[in-house]
Amino acid sequence: MADLITINVDGKDVQVPPKIQLIEALRTYAKVETPAFCYHPDLSVAGNCRVCLVEFAGPRGFAFGIACHMQTAPGLTVRTQISSDKVKWARRGVMESLLVNHPLDCPICDKAGECTLQENYMSQGRHESRLPDEAGKQYKGGADFRFIDAKGTDRGGKKIDLGPTILLDQERCIVCSRCVRFMDEVAKSSQLGIAGRGDHAYITTFPGKPLTHGYDLNVTDICPVGALTGKHFRFQQRVWTLKSVESIDPSDAFGANLTIEYNNGRVWRLMPRRNPDVNKSWIANSTRLLYQKLAVDRLTDARIAGKDVDLTEGVKAAQSALAAAKKIALVASGHGTIEDNAALLALKDSLGDKAEVFGGSWLPVGSADGIALSGDPVANRAGVKLLGIADNLDQLAERAGEFDAVLVFNHDLWAADAAKAAKLDRIPVRIVLASWIDATVAKATIAVGIRAWTEARGAMVNSKDRVQLMQAGPVVPNPALEPAWRVLACLAGATWASETDAFKAAGARAPRLAGLTYRTIGPMGAVLPQPALAAAGA
Amino acid sequence: MMYGFPQPKQWKGKDLPRVLSRLFDVKDGHTLAVARQHGAYSTLSKVLFDRAPFQIINEVMDSGLRGRGGAGFPTGMKWSFVPRGGGKPVYLVINADEGEPGTFKDRMCMMRDPHLLIEGMINSGYALGVRTAYIYVRGEMLPQIQALNHAIKEAYDAGFLGENIAGSRYSLDIYVHRGAGAYICGEETGLINSLEGFKGQPRLKPPFPAISGAFSAPTVVNNVETIMAVPWILTHGAKAYRQWGTDKSPGSKLFSISGDIAKPGVYEVPLAMPYMEFFELCGGLKGDLLGCIPGGSSAPVLTAEETAKTTMDYESLAAAKSMLGSGAVTPFNTTRDPVLLLQTIARFYAHESCGQCTPCREGTGYVDRVIDSLVDGHGRTGDTDLIKSLADQYEPMTTICAFGPGAAWPVQSFVTKFKSHFEAYIQRNPKHAEARDLVAVRPGAFW
Repeated sequence: MADLITINVDGKDVQVPPKIQLIEALRTYAKVETPAFCYHPDLSVAGNCRVCLVEFAGPRGFAFGIACHMQTAPGLTVRTQISSDKVKWARRGVMESLLVNHPLDCPICDKAGECTLQENYMSQGRHESRLPDEAGKQYKGGADFRFIDAKGTDRGGKKIDLGPTILLDQERCIVCSRCVRFMDEVAKSSQLGIAGRGDHAYITTFPGKPLTHGYDLNVTDICPVGALTGKHFRFQQRVWTLKSVESIDPSDAFGANLTIEYNNGRVWRLMPRRNPDVNKSWIANSTRLLYQKLAVDRLTDARIAGKDVDLTEGVKAAQSALAAAKKIALVASGHGTIEDNAALLALKDSLGDKAEVFGGSWLPVGSADGIALSGDPVANRAGVKLLGIADNLDQLAERAGEFDAVLVFNHDLWAADAAKAAKLDRIPVRIVLASWIDATVAKATIAVGIRAWTEARGAMVNSKDRVQLMQAGPVVPNPALEPAWRVLACLAGATWASETDAFKAAGARAPRLAGLTYRTIGPMGAVLPQPALAAAGA
Repeated sequence: MMYGFPQPKQWKGKDLPRVLSRLFDVKDGHTLAVARQHGAYSTLSKVLFDRAPFQIINEVMDSGLRGRGGAGFPTGMKWSFVPRGGGKPVYLVINADEGEPGTFKDRMCMMRDPHLLIEGMINSGYALGVRTAYIYVRGEMLPQIQALNHAIKEAYDAGFLGENIAGSRYSLDIYVHRGAGAYICGEETGLINSLEGFKGQPRLKPPFPAISGAFSAPTVVNNVETIMAVPWILTHGAKAYRQWGTDKSPGSKLFSISGDIAKPGVYEVPLAMPYMEFFELCGGLKGDLLGCIPGGSSAPVLTAEETAKTTMDYESLAAAKSMLGSGAVTPFNTTRDPVLLLQTIARFYAHESCGQCTPCREGTGYVDRVIDSLVDGHGRTGDTDLIKSLADQYEPMTTICAFGPGAAWPVQSFVTKFKSHFEAYIQRNPKHAEARDLVAVRPGAFW
C-alpha cells in the first residue's frame, strides 16, 4: 500500500487507501465503530438506512453524509459520533425511527443475540420510548396498514411462507433491501422485491411465486433483524448459547469458509464465514444443510462381516487383515484431509511393496456457479494431488484381480460409480473407514467408524491452490470415534500425537506444504507457494 | 380544467410579462397553425443555429434563469456541468410530473402552449448536444398528454422535429413518457429511475444526473416552465429578461394560486412582486388572512404578518425561512384550521415517501399518526414539541433526496407558527396532562 492518502477523522489525520468506502476506512483504519444496517461489504451500496451518518466538510460547512456511500479522497474531513453531537443526535433519530414499528419480540426472535438492530441500539440509541401507543403502525389491527397486495392477498403478518426454506416476519423488517440486493446481484435471480412505499413498503416475492434458489438461505444471514429466518433453524437454539469453530465446506473444491455452531454435543447450524478471497459472505444451501446429516446413519462402531463390534476390535481385525494380505490397494480420498491422506501414505510405507496407492474419484464434476461452489464435489482433490498421489482409480478397477485386500477411507466408491466399483467386489478383503453407513460400508468385510468432517481438525486445498483449515466441533454420535488419520496411523504403526504431526508428515512429502503450519495458514487460509518458490525455500 | 386565463394585460400601468403565457388566452393556441401566427418556432433560424451551443448556454446563464420546479437551481449552471464529447449521448428530460400540492402551472402550459415547450426543448437540446429528449408526464394528466402528442406530431410533420430540424444540421426526437403518478418521481433521480423502468426511488448522489443520469449517460432534467422560458430569452436576449425581478431572481414566473382568493388560477407575473399585491391582482383575498403557503405544500408556511412583508422571489422567501418552490401560492383565512391543514399535508407526505431512507420512511408516517391522534382528541401535553422534534430528524438532509426536508418544513413551521391552535386541540383531551400509557411491562427484568 504505497499510495495511502490522508483524511481527517475527528480532528485526527488518518492514513487510508484512496477511493474506498468511508465506512470501511472508519472501521478499519480510523478504528471508529460505525453502525450500519443496509451496508454490506459484498453488496452494492443502497444508502437507505442512514445510521452510518457522519458530518463532512462540504462547500457550505459541515453537512450530513453517509459513510457507506462516501469515498475516501485526499483532504476529506469528517466528524463521527466521537466529536459531533449532531451525529449522535441524528443516529439516535434514525434508531428511534427504526424502532417505531419494530416489534419488541426479541424474547421469541431467532435473531436475538446476533441482531444488528439490538447491537446498534445499544451503541447508538439507548433511549426510552416516547412513542404514543396509538400512533404505532398496528399491523394486526389497523386496516389501513395491512399489506394487501394487488391480488387481494394479505402480505403482512408474522409468518409468511416465502418458499421451501424461508419464513418472513413482515413486522420485524426494517426495509434495508439487503435481501433484495443479494438476490439481484449475487444470486442473479430477482425473486425478491420491495412493494409499496413509505412505511407501508414491504418485502415480497412475485405474486404466487415462492422464493426458491440454491443460495437463498444467505438472505437470512444478511437480514439485520429477524425478519427472514431459515426454517431449519427456527426456534432451535438461542444463538448466544452456541459455540463456534471455523471450518470450510467439505462438499466442494471451492472451499467456502464457514463456521460450525454447536452446543451440548450437537451441531445446530453452519454459517458462512466471510473470506473476501474465497466465498465472500456466501455459502450454498446444500453446504449449509450438511450439518443435518451429522447425526443420521452414522457408523458409530465397527463392523466385521456385517456384525457390529467394538471400534478397537475393528481396528485390530483390519490390522491383522492387512498383515495377512499379499497385495493391498490403498485408496486415497479427496474427501479426506491432507492429514488423512498423509497417514495413508505412511501406511503404504509401513506395508512396503505389497501395498499400492490409488487416487482419484468417480464422482462427476459439474460446472462452477460463480458464487461458492466450483462444481467439483471432491473438496481436497488438489491436496491429494499435492501429496503425489496419482489420479488412477480406473486402473484399480481394471487390475482388481491382482489384489487380495483393499482399504478405502472416507470415500463412497460404490455410490460414486456402481458399475466400476462392482469390479472391486472381486477383492476378498475390503476394509472401509467411513463416517456414514453408505454403499461402500455395505460392501465392506471390515468397516471402522471414523469422525466426520466437523469432528476432526485438518487441512484441505481448494481448487484455487488455497490451503485452508477445518477445526473440530463436537463428536456427535460416539465420542470414542477417532479421526481417519489416527486410525490409519495406528494401522501404520506411526506414533503421531496430534494432527500437527500428521500435517508435518504431509509437509515432508509435499514441498509446497513444507513451509506452512496451522498457525501460518490461520482461519483465512493461505495460498500455496508456487512450486519453484517452494523448492527454493526448501 | 382551468381553460380561462383571467390575467389582466396590465398591472399598475405596466405591461405584465407574457414570456410563458403568450398563448394562454388565445383560442386554439395549442395548434401549430395558430401558434405559428404568434411566432412559434421563430427561434429555429439564425437566432439558434447561427450561434454555437456554448453561446446559448452563456446566454441562459446571463439571463439568470433559475429552475422553476422548486429548487431554483440556476439553469445555465446546470447545463454547464454536462461533460462534452464523453462518447455517451446526452439526454434532456423534461420534468412534467408536477406533483407539488397546489401547483397546476405545468399542466396549463402543456395544455395551452405545447409548441412553446417543444421549441424550448429544441433550443436547449441544441445547446446541450441532445439527440433524444423525453417528456416525463404525470400519468393522470391525460388531456395534457394528448395535447403534447398532438403537438409533437404536428411538429414532426412540419419538420420541426426529427432529422435536420428546419433545414439545419441539428436533429432531435422527443418522446412522451407517462409516469404512474408518484410525488417522488418529480425528484430528478427518482424520475430517471422511473423513466428507465425501475421503481421511482431517488438515487444516491454523486454521481449527479449531469454526469450519469438516464441510462448512465449525462442527463439534464428541467422543469416544463424553465424550458419554456428559453425561446424568449434567446429571441430577446438575457438583458431583456432581467427587466423583471431582482438580480438573483430575474424574469417572470407562473404562479398557481388557490385557496381563499377571489380568482384562483395561473398568473404570470414578474418575480419580486409583493404577495399582497399579487393577491390584489388575483381579485383579492376572501376573509382575513391567517397564513399563506408560499411555494407549494413543502414550503414552510408564512403567517399573515410574514406574508405582508415578503415578495415573491428566491431571496426574500429565503430570508423569511421559506421558499419560492414551484410557485404554488395558497393563502388561507381565519376560518381555516391550520391543524387540519397540516394533517392533510402530513398524510400526503406519509403516503408519498418512497420508503428508502429510514428517517423519512418511518418519520413521516409517525408524524402523521401523532397528528391524527391529536385531532381525534387524544393529544397530550408536549405533543407539539414531539411532532416538531420528530420532523427535525428528517429535516437536515439526513436522507437521500430533498423529500425529507420538504416533508419536515411544513410540519415544523405549522406547529411553531400556529402553536396555539395545536394546544387548543390538546386541551380538548380531558386527560391531556396525564402521561401517555407506555407499555409498562419491560421484558428483561431479572431478579
